[in-house]
Amino acid sequence: MSTALEANGLGKRYGRHWALRDCSLALPTSRIAALVGPNGAGKSTLLHLAVGLLRPDAGSVRVLGGIPGSDRELLSRIGFVAQDAPLYTDFTGAELITMGGKLNRRWDAELARERLGQLGIPLDRRVGKLSGGQKAQVALTLALAKRPDLLLLDEPVAGIDPLARREFLQALMGSVAEHGTTVLLSSHLLGDLERVCDYLILLQTGHLQVLGPVDDLLAAHKVLVGPRRDAVRVAGAATVVRASHTDKQSTLLVRTNGEIHDPAWTVHDVSLEDLVLAYLADPSVGALPGPARLGTDRGVQAP
Amino acid sequence: MWLTWRQHRRQALLVVAGLAVLAAFLLLTGRSMHRASVDTGLARCLGAMRSTVDYRLSDPAVGLPDCNEPAERFNAEYSGYLTPAILLVFLPLLAGLFLGAPLVAREVQQGTHRLVWTQGVTRRRWALVKFGLVVGAILTLSVAYALLVTWWVTPLALANAARFEYLAFDLQGGAPAGYTLFAVALGILAGTLWRKVLPAMAVTLVAFVGARLAVALARPHFLPPLERRFPVAANTFPNPMLSDWILERNAYDSTGRAIAPGGDIFCALPCPGYDPGSYNVHVYQPAERFWLFQSIEAGVFVVLAALLLLLAVRRVRRIS
Amino acid sequence: MIEFRLDGHSKVATYMQLVQQVKQALRTGLLEPDDQLPRVRDVAESLAINPNTVLKAYRQLEIEGLAEGRPGVGTFVRRSLAGPSLGSQAALRRELLAWLGRAAAAGLDQEDVVALIETTMRAAFQEDIA
Repeated sequence: MSTALEANGLGKRYGRHWALRDCSLALPTSRIAALVGPNGAGKSTLLHLAVGLLRPDAGSVRVLGGIPGSDRELLSRIGFVAQDAPLYTDFTGAELITMGGKLNRRWDAELARERLGQLGIPLDRRVGKLSGGQKAQVALTLALAKRPDLLLLDEPVAGIDPLARREFLQALMGSVAEHGTTVLLSSHLLGDLERVCDYLILLQTGHLQVLGPVDDLLAAHKVLVGPRRDAVRVAGAATVVRASHTDKQSTLLVRTNGEIHDPAWTVHDVSLEDLVLAYLADPSVGALPGPARLGTDRGVQAP
Repeated sequence: MWLTWRQHRRQALLVVAGLAVLAAFLLLTGRSMHRASVDTGLARCLGAMRSTVDYRLSDPAVGLPDCNEPAERFNAEYSGYLTPAILLVFLPLLAGLFLGAPLVAREVQQGTHRLVWTQGVTRRRWALVKFGLVVGAILTLSVAYALLVTWWVTPLALANAARFEYLAFDLQGGAPAGYTLFAVALGILAGTLWRKVLPAMAVTLVAFVGARLAVALARPHFLPPLERRFPVAANTFPNPMLSDWILERNAYDSTGRAIAPGGDIFCALPCPGYDPGSYNVHVYQPAERFWLFQSIEAGVFVVLAALLLLLAVRRVRRIS
Repeated sequence: MIEFRLDGHSKVATYMQLVQQVKQALRTGLLEPDDQLPRVRDVAESLAINPNTVLKAYRQLEIEGLAEGRPGVGTFVRRSLAGPSLGSQAALRRELLAWLGRAAAAGLDQEDVVALIETTMRAAFQEDIA
């Protein structure tokens, strides 16, 4: 199947507050997707719904074609690392690997041991005594040893030093390259995400704001620099995502629907980081694919 | 299964070690108590008492033994043990608080449920195996412990004719095992509902005490009690060493007026001080019903425990 | 085997940087036909980049005819870069040096020169495409 994760009008409520609302997306396989958004935007909620730790209050979610939750088969094809990489702290690495073997149908203990060995993490030390980066690596190893088709990571490198972060991402990329796993990872570290992710999901206050392949998004957005103009209608620009003005100059980040021919503007490409930051700053604009792509009949977003 | 063992390995060893120490103490003191029971003639006397035809009555003049004398000799040395014995009553509650409540609550509190419930086992299976193993182990230990304590307490209880009374009853037979099972089940369920260890423990404490009190207050009425009347002035009286559970005692004179409310009067013939028609009334549960009552008490708590565990398994599947 | 590096601050897309580095290696003779390019997995791991990016770079090289993928084995260099012969390059170089001298005399500093060259190049190539 070609969709690793599919959500239709997915929603989750805590009391009267909707942590996630009206979420519809279809993540293709073999992608590395970034899940971005401010704290409390619903990223963890989405991941927990996808892995069956939470049950939807509205809509539905399907993962690898099945419904997460009570399906053992499905669970053993999904690798998940929750925030702060929870582990049984008084277990040693070797014991955690044994545990995985007993709880999972598909388990590659050899791979796990090899990886930890390569990373220099001793197998006979209690994981509570390891550093933050090492714990994250152990948690990732346990998820990878399931040989999953889909990997869900909730802020896996938060609070970890830059070198450990780099090693984590290297390990992740190597594994994805070898096994073709689909990955969905949430993170605040936009710099890391740009080199690693080819699909973007941006959430704000429980709603989807931006969705789509990174290449398409970057191609469809440009930064325009030109003389100060307050009335911002530019031919070729469908929406203005962010505008900043000095007394002489205007800088616009726009979503295009054609070529920008107006010679008054200098056109620049935009980086993923700048794109994300601009959308985060203004929750009222969105960049979502049209209804045709998702097979729902929601109204057209943004332009 | 391996996981449950490995996860609770340290706890299990601590509990077993603690119980072993307790057991050693009980064995040592119990042995000396049993020997004393024999030495003072208490044991023989109680045995003889049982085998006499009309042991329900005691009449020293006629030679029917009431074993008062050996009992007093025994108590002179060992009555001090009654107080620490009370502490043993708390053991089931401790089991519920420290073994039951954290079982699920700690898992959720520390976030490891996000690790273990996303592996390849369903929550239902995880819960069944975990609860089953833990409860099974606790059940075995508590039955063994209950047997040991029963053996230990029996001479003490019989010497004081207190076997059927509150507290002594709670320490003997299957009742402690039932309490322990109930406490642990309660703890586990509280853990699934409150998901943090301390609140779960608090709730377990309150609920356990409440339930025990409720059942204990109902205990006199498990079966309709019997009533007996006997004259105040007589030479034979119901044998006080029998360990009947006397619920109410009153003495009335021949007109029906209460002359000793809440108490009874034994006055050997001739008895000048009292109206010859005065009589005592006992409302009691006979000693023969002891084991029946034990079964009822244990049974109630075991059934409750089973229900609570079932609820707990169902709750686990719905935790967010 | 060559090793890639990434310039995180460059405006050039990651996959283009890889393509350019291969071409540079071909030009300087570090890579010759039938040499193997690093495995996708190894590049993705050492640079911590998306494997699809590496695949994209290699596919681009294949389109330009510089590399070919051999299934099950890897990606190999197919031909060297057809560059102008050393002789014509020497002539171009001399002309360029003379021009740079005139630019300096006209008051342009290094950044002015680069800006001028870039904008002129962009315009020239766009005219070619148009």
